[in-house]
Amino acid sequence: MTVNMMIGPEHYLIVSAILFCLGLSGILLRRNMIVMLMSIELMLNAVNLTFVTFSHFNQNLDGQVIVLFVMAIAAAEAGVGLALAVMLFKKFKELNISFFEHLRG
Amino acid sequence: MAEIVLFYLLAAATVAAAVGVVMHENPLLCALHLVLSMLGVAGLFFLLQAPFVGAVQIMVYAGAVMVLFVLVLMLIDTNQDDEKFSGGNISALTKGLSVGVLSGLLTSIILRTPQSLQRSVTYEAYEVIDIAKLLFTKYVLAFELLGVLLLVIPVGVVALSRIRGGTHDR
Repeated sequence: MTVNMMIGPEHYLIVSAILFCLGLSGILLRRNMIVMLMSIELMLNAVNLTFVTFSHFNQNLDGQVIVLFVMAIAAAEAGVGLALAVMLFKKFKELNISFFEHLRG
Repeated sequence: MAEIVLFYLLAAATVAAAVGVVMHENPLLCALHLVLSMLGVAGLFFLLQAPFVGAVQIMVYAGAVMVLFVLVLMLIDTNQDDEKFSGGNISALTKGLSVGVLSGLLTSIILRTPQSLQRSVTYEAYEVIDIAKLLFTKYVLAFELLGVLLLVIPVGVVALSRIRGGTHDR
């Protein structure tokens, strides 16, 4: 592989992969429900970065339109998730995931 | 040259802030690191010549969504978790290792993929109106569905917040 000093698509894609894996590890490792929601936002951000990268290097604007859709849906998801978290906290006074291990009616 | 330096600075800041999100034990500090990470991603969008998406990223994510997170954190007022990392059936070490292996696999796949994309041509500029044209012609159905979703979400959130108790106590 020739050493190329230009910033190519693979640089952005690697940053995106690392961000995605960090978000994944946040979901796997953390127990606080709100921090898990934040990790989901991190993963969505990584995917957005991939979309914009390919949109730029392919000279195709469709990727950016899809990024706008992803952003709107992520904001809606964060709203619902936080509402659920607030509701659970009002009822149980607890946000640790291990507390909700046995979800039976 | 400036582009290369900027890219590495932004990438390092983004990844470091993301590590902070995962590692900090105070959820409020996690939220602040997440703001930093999103601003870094917005900077990468600007470097990729997508200024509109970058601006929307700053306004929607680093602004609105993060204010929502911080507001809920202050409302809930959880102090430090005693057990912030999960023990569970699978140890944290195993989880961390498997995620590291996944990231290595993804990176090697990206590096081994033959380069079909051109990289040194000068990219022609586009305007925001081009995005708008796409949004209202090719993706108009998705756009309308998004409008329906954004109507349903607030109604659902209000309904959720008015539920008193579960199925058992009424």
